[in-house]
Amino acid sequence: MKILNRRQRVILGIIFSIIFLAAVCIFGSLGTEAARVTDFSRKNLAPCAEYIFGTDWLGRDMLVRTLKGLSISIFIGIAAAAFSAAVALVLGIASATMGKTVDAVISFIIDLIMGVPHILLLILISVALGKGLKGVVIGVALTHWASLARLIRAEVIQLRESPYIQIAAKLGKSKWYIARKHMIPHLLPQFLVGLVLLFPHAILHESSVTFLGFGLSTEQPAIGIVLSESMKYLVTGKWWLALFPGILLVATVMVFYVLGESMRKLLDPGSAHE
Amino acid sequence: MKKRAIAILCTIVLAGGLLAGCGQPKETQKPAQTDRETTGSETKDEVVVTMPTTSEPQSGFDPAYGWGAGEHVHEPLIQSTLTVTTQDLEIDKDLAADYSVSEDGLTWTVKIRDDVKFTDGEPLTAQDVAFTYNNCKEKSSVNDFTMLDEAVAVDDTTVEFHMTEPYSIWPYTMAVVGIVPEHAYDENYGQNPIGSGRYIMKQWDKGQQVIFEANPDYYGEEPKIKKVTVLFMEEDAALAAAMAGEVDVAHTAASYSDQAINGYDLFRVDTVDNRGFNLPTVEPQEKDGITYGNAFTSDVNVRRAINIGIDRGEMIENVLNGYGTAAYSVCDKMPWYNEEYEVAYDPEEAKRILDEAGWKEGEDGIREKDGVRAEFTLMFASDDSVRQALAEDTANQLKEIGIEVTTEGVGWDVAYDRAQSEPLMWGWGAHTPMELYNIYHTLSDSGIGLAEYSPYGNETVNRYMDEALKASSLEESYDLWKKAQWDGTTGITQQGDIPWIWLCNVDHLYFVRDGLQIAEQKIHPHGHGWSLVNNVDQWTWE
Repeated sequence: MKILNRRQRVILGIIFSIIFLAAVCIFGSLGTEAARVTDFSRKNLAPCAEYIFGTDWLGRDMLVRTLKGLSISIFIGIAAAAFSAAVALVLGIASATMGKTVDAVISFIIDLIMGVPHILLLILISVALGKGLKGVVIGVALTHWASLARLIRAEVIQLRESPYIQIAAKLGKSKWYIARKHMIPHLLPQFLVGLVLLFPHAILHESSVTFLGFGLSTEQPAIGIVLSESMKYLVTGKWWLALFPGILLVATVMVFYVLGESMRKLLDPGSAHE
Repeated sequence: MKKRAIAILCTIVLAGGLLAGCGQPKETQKPAQTDRETTGSETKDEVVVTMPTTSEPQSGFDPAYGWGAGEHVHEPLIQSTLTVTTQDLEIDKDLAADYSVSEDGLTWTVKIRDDVKFTDGEPLTAQDVAFTYNNCKEKSSVNDFTMLDEAVAVDDTTVEFHMTEPYSIWPYTMAVVGIVPEHAYDENYGQNPIGSGRYIMKQWDKGQQVIFEANPDYYGEEPKIKKVTVLFMEEDAALAAAMAGEVDVAHTAASYSDQAINGYDLFRVDTVDNRGFNLPTVEPQEKDGITYGNAFTSDVNVRRAINIGIDRGEMIENVLNGYGTAAYSVCDKMPWYNEEYEVAYDPEEAKRILDEAGWKEGEDGIREKDGVRAEFTLMFASDDSVRQALAEDTANQLKEIGIEVTTEGVGWDVAYDRAQSEPLMWGWGAHTPMELYNIYHTLSDSGIGLAEYSPYGNETVNRYMDEALKASSLEESYDLWKKAQWDGTTGITQQGDIPWIWLCNVDHLYFVRDGLQIAEQKIHPHGHGWSLVNNVDQWTWE
């Protein structure tokens, strides 16, 4: 392990994560058709050389289904996390800079959203929007911004009191100038890390809401669907239906986590120069 | 590094916990079993039966809210009915000693037995009968009582039903409406039902189980099984319960039929629990925001080609592991079924019909005509894996004859509206010819004035069904129902308009504990629940 220094290891981690995620996405999107093909002549096959993840009761190839499901999840994760982070950034900064009333209102909304369990709110929003891709993306996006917004708000409040910002203000720079030139560059690392760490959350919540039947529709190869269908067949000993998709889901979530942590190490002033 | 390892571990545990947590609600609590084990080797006279959670009557055991006389018809057990359906689904008498209908078909007179008591000791009189029917007419939202004008008790043992229009199949309605006591009926009746039937409801733990005990004062043959416990659970939980030896009869599905459970045998029951899909027969048009009709399926040749382009045998083998029978109509094997409905699988003929009708194969193998592609979306209820598999297999099979089918899982909240323009995988099957009427007869005041569930209308078919309802006897009406299906020139069969494609009747499957003799079953209607226990009083243990 001593061949590479810490920084190189971190960079290696990032490269590995990106390759893994890209591979899942690319194979997933290539398999859009294949993931839906049913063939009753090959139903309920245990993992073998040809179908390394086995097949399900409709004769669908579980490997293609899993990859497609994960790529859908990653897409939802990216869409939802990006939207969520944008909301968090705007609200966080607004809360910290636009005076007491705005701060009180936004803080109240943050508390409100954080006070309700995510999954409940997510189900409500998803069902209200007619389920499907749209419902899940908006649902995840609207429930996940609160903690990041709170973080940014705290950061901005702290920054506001720091000498260089105070001096800039005394020099007559506009608020917008200060926010653009001084605050956002300082916030960017936390923001990016927060954004990346939202992915695993979004993915897990997408799959659980779909698992519970409030998300994507059953003919779609979403990972939540794959797992909930497998529940019915576990009792008959068809372990492969749940095991491999489950492991890959955990792996994807972990990879995102590694990515976020590595980025933090690279960007965080405390460790950036190691 | 160590910190990260811990973090990764946490992620795995969390993810695992998430999934495991989600899995929990599927498990059903262990049935409350008290005295079953203690019976030991003595002759047992109790059974524990599982049913799907959807079989639990949400509004209680009240016929006005669908108990027995609802979407899934069955004998109400707790209450008794005026008539009963026989093994071959004709009509026999129960509470009725005699019944007759007036010449114009507008008055049914029923004489009832005078020796019947409710389980609270009060005698069952014609007033109770009249009350039951008037109450059902007033309140029932699940069963149609519009043909009944009023029920009148003439004396203690005679009741007259005044109809708004002739309704020759009224005895089939009388076979599912359980008679309730007027003196003990209030809005909570469904929770503590009192009846005159074979069993008394002893205990109902909502979401879990219902316990019935034999009625000691039953006027008919004494029930051989004294105690019936019904547990409500999903199929996977039922399988687990059977594996653990906790139940005597566990309902199950074809996908579990290959499981061998020690001490249990697979028991299959013939059904008219059919699956099939509708094909809208008119060109698309819009009304009140709902689209009615489908450009592709409005061509009768397309519908005919689809009907013979599907290999039902292969489908049953693929999807149901062989536990099913081919369906050609909504009423296979019923006394009113017309054999003309039956068709043979013939893909070559299907292709010829399509070619002749101008549907020419395009470059991608999918047919086209005047810019319309030979394609449709086939919807299925998203929580029903059998319907999903049938839809997928239909898509695979129709591809062979150049038709592209996309499947889509939908919820029932949107399915009914969308089915007006797109095929939907349905499940039907009931012990009354009224089902034909519901599916094929036009309703002038709904939608665009065509049949209720899928746009279709044929004057001749309508006329036969109207005549069937006006017929003076059931036998005569059976003949007219058959003619409504095919009279030699027109109808709803392959040679006719074929507005619905029927695929298969799904066998009802149960794991039954060795030694339990389940009495001979009538052909089960749609609904994998209460039908099995219609005759639980005649089951025996060896």
